[in-house]
Amino acid sequence: MKLSYLFFLVVITAPSLAQTQITGIVKDAAGAAIPGANVFLLDTYDGASTDAGGKFQFNTDEKGPHTLVAKFVGYEDYTLSVILEGKPIHLQIGLKETINELQAVTITAGTFTASDENRRTIFQAQDIATTAGATADIAGALNTLPGTQKVGESGRLFVRGGDGTETRTFIDGMMVLDAYGVSAPNTPSRGRFLPFMFKGTSFSTGGYSAEYGQALSSALVLDSRDQAEADRTDFALMSVGADVSHTHKWDQASMAAKVQYTNIRPYFNLINQEIDWITPPASVEGSAVFRHQLGASGMLKVFGNFNHANYSLYNHDIDDPSSRQAYDLTNDYLYLNSAYKTAVGENWIVRGGVSYSKIKDQVVDVTERVTTDEGIHAKAVLEGNLSSQVEVKTGVEWVGHVYGQSVPAFQLSRRFRDDLISGFAEGDIYFSNRFVARLGGRMEYSQLQQTVSLDPRFSLAYQAGKDGTLSLSYGKFRQSAQSQYLLLDTNLQSEKSDHYIVSYQFVRSRRTFRAEVYYKDYTQLVKYGMNPDAVTNDGDGHAKGFELFWRDNQTFRNTDFWVSYSYLDTERNYLDYPHAAIPTFASAHNFSVVYKYFFTRLRTQAGATWLYSSGRPYNDPNQTAFNGGRTPSYQDLSVNFAYLAKHNLIVYFSATNVLGRDNIFGYEYGDELNEQGMYNSRAIRQPAPRFLFIGIFLTLSKDKTVNQLPAL
Amino acid sequence: MKTTLTLIWLVATLATHANDKYVETMKKHIEALYTDSTVEAYQSTINALERIASAEKDKWEPSYYMAFGYVMMANIDTDATRKDRYLDQATAAMEKAKALAPQESEVIVMEGFIYMIRLTIDPATRGAQYSGLAYQSFSKAVAVNPGNPRALAMLAQLQYGTAQFFGSPTTEACDTNRKALALFDADKPANPLSPVWGKSVAKAMSLQCEQ
Repeated sequence: MKLSYLFFLVVITAPSLAQTQITGIVKDAAGAAIPGANVFLLDTYDGASTDAGGKFQFNTDEKGPHTLVAKFVGYEDYTLSVILEGKPIHLQIGLKETINELQAVTITAGTFTASDENRRTIFQAQDIATTAGATADIAGALNTLPGTQKVGESGRLFVRGGDGTETRTFIDGMMVLDAYGVSAPNTPSRGRFLPFMFKGTSFSTGGYSAEYGQALSSALVLDSRDQAEADRTDFALMSVGADVSHTHKWDQASMAAKVQYTNIRPYFNLINQEIDWITPPASVEGSAVFRHQLGASGMLKVFGNFNHANYSLYNHDIDDPSSRQAYDLTNDYLYLNSAYKTAVGENWIVRGGVSYSKIKDQVVDVTERVTTDEGIHAKAVLEGNLSSQVEVKTGVEWVGHVYGQSVPAFQLSRRFRDDLISGFAEGDIYFSNRFVARLGGRMEYSQLQQTVSLDPRFSLAYQAGKDGTLSLSYGKFRQSAQSQYLLLDTNLQSEKSDHYIVSYQFVRSRRTFRAEVYYKDYTQLVKYGMNPDAVTNDGDGHAKGFELFWRDNQTFRNTDFWVSYSYLDTERNYLDYPHAAIPTFASAHNFSVVYKYFFTRLRTQAGATWLYSSGRPYNDPNQTAFNGGRTPSYQDLSVNFAYLAKHNLIVYFSATNVLGRDNIFGYEYGDELNEQGMYNSRAIRQPAPRFLFIGIFLTLSKDKTVNQLPAL
Repeated sequence: MKTTLTLIWLVATLATHANDKYVETMKKHIEALYTDSTVEAYQSTINALERIASAEKDKWEPSYYMAFGYVMMANIDTDATRKDRYLDQATAAMEKAKALAPQESEVIVMEGFIYMIRLTIDPATRGAQYSGLAYQSFSKAVAVNPGNPRALAMLAQLQYGTAQFFGSPTTEACDTNRKALALFDADKPANPLSPVWGKSVAKAMSLQCEQ
């Protein structure tokens, strides 16, 4: 009994005899003290926080080998094996900065990113959707950013001296063969995909990642939303049609489906149009998206979209306006996209997908012509961290493309098939949180061209000062010749462009300043002379310019505005051009101001956009100089209002060109000389002075905070 | 026999002593959390909780209170980037607590609380996204434990803020808040480390509701 008692006493009193004192100081790589750091013995309670001078001190009763840890936010954990034997330990601890994705410098050359997830982007996804003049069209909103060119009669994205076909759209990494809806000649088309589908948009005006190919000028990279947040049913009644969509959410999956009917006829009956319609555009569209979480980190998304559209109009002859020819277009579009993504281990992600597009255009004017365009894109990518400082991504892809045209009445048809197999690899090396270099390359094999090509891409970014980023980019890009020319000669090689970009960006407390300078060199552009069927790759061109951008979300309360200016100096010798000349889609000066104001008490968001483009060239056969004519400048002031009538009911109104300016995009000429020995001309104008749009959007959901405002 | 008995008694005492040590140390730091008022003080308390979390690998409370501390830090600091950084730390701590106790209503309340503070950093751009997420978390917390006063009190806060923004009546929010106050009065937690915060917030709102 006594022995046990003694034993018990000894056990209780023993610890106080062998305390070890641990002291020291914690500093960063530059030698500055780190206050508030946590220094402790792993798996024990013993430790202390560093004081204002970075110093710490604590005693421990533990004995023997232990691990000492020092940690603080923004730094790599410091670990040290120690033996605790009662002798005091003094430490000088240096903490190394972690490469923190949220703090590290990012490559900004040629890129505008809008994201809901990355807090450091200049734009949120809804900024794209709420820009006046855009009528919820992604391309329309992006047209207010530097580097883009307003080509009013087209509606597509023309970037830095590049044609509208040089911009490629990707959804979840998968190529979209035709991202634009059908439109009448010389009337703008709208994008097929609405901003509300996406949580992130990355719009590049050059120098983009080796992951993306088949785009000479620009890549528009869209990331679809991951999961619906709640069950909901949405109705929209608009001046141009109606749609209804329903979203259902299960625990691990969600499904959304939407049916939309658009008919412009009632609107055109109310508002006079320049075009002589027989049946104005009408379309039926359905889309559905299914998302399923697989395992702890996997996500499968399947998206489908089909659209059937039709319109017909009379084309009037320029020389004899009373003579007219009916023109009827029917377009059937199907797009399927499935994408899968999962984490492998702690450091790697595997993702991939398959997309399928099928487009059929049936045009009836003098005869019937049918064009079909079908493509499959399959891709697999592995990306992750090789180390805490190096991120890599690599992938392989296959694009199978079949394009054909036929004239059924004469039983004529021709088609071609191209298979493109490509691989890419790219690494981001973070020398520190302030300096990153990206090296990449893309290899493509075209079965039609029988060539293998290798295009390097290289970018750097350096953090200049606390809030500035200096970024450089160089890359080689290529794109197969357009399908209508490949049909004439399947030996045509890819068109190529080299980009050189220098960019400076400054962001502080919700104000952004950007300046960018670039040079693009084009080679192997498609060209033909007197005989349009004899196509070659002898064309070339260049584009150079600079851009300035200023966004301020801070200075004025409830106000968001941005101002953008682009200067473009470009010439190209391609298609039927007799020599190098400024192309008809390019204007030297492009200026835009976007303004948004939120009236909190009235629960209304009002926006205005003013766009200015200096005159564009056009070819006047009555003049000797090629592309010698200049249109007047393009100016457009658009406004929009979104009013939150109730928490789930929105009334939306927008009008383009409120000042009613008669914008002229170019001139068309007749084929015969008139009495004065000149060719008759006709201006290519807007289909109407303004486009007015009214819509009512209702959302039914158990979650009272949900409505369609983010989509508008 | 006697040695065995003594040894068993010794081990048992040491075990409860260890548990006492855990409860006593935690109580001390939880007290500190409720009274800390500067970023440095919070960081120091959070560090102590982190050490306890490192030693007591199966307890959710240390990580939970770390998240609470970081949320309080985000509340006091004025710089948006630092606020977001503290909330990132809060989220990491809350995820740890959630992994240890996935059906614990208090942890789910904390998840919603973090979303709410994220919202306040930039309500114009984040309102739509984070209010939905916060609403989901608080509703789930109420469903898991309808007797949790904090779940109802935070839900009431969110409903009130949303009603104010849309200009709709605040009756539903005030109703929820009244239920929350009743639950606070009835709250007698068995676990000495259970959170007890939130009553002052509900009381402040009840004054607003009376107007």
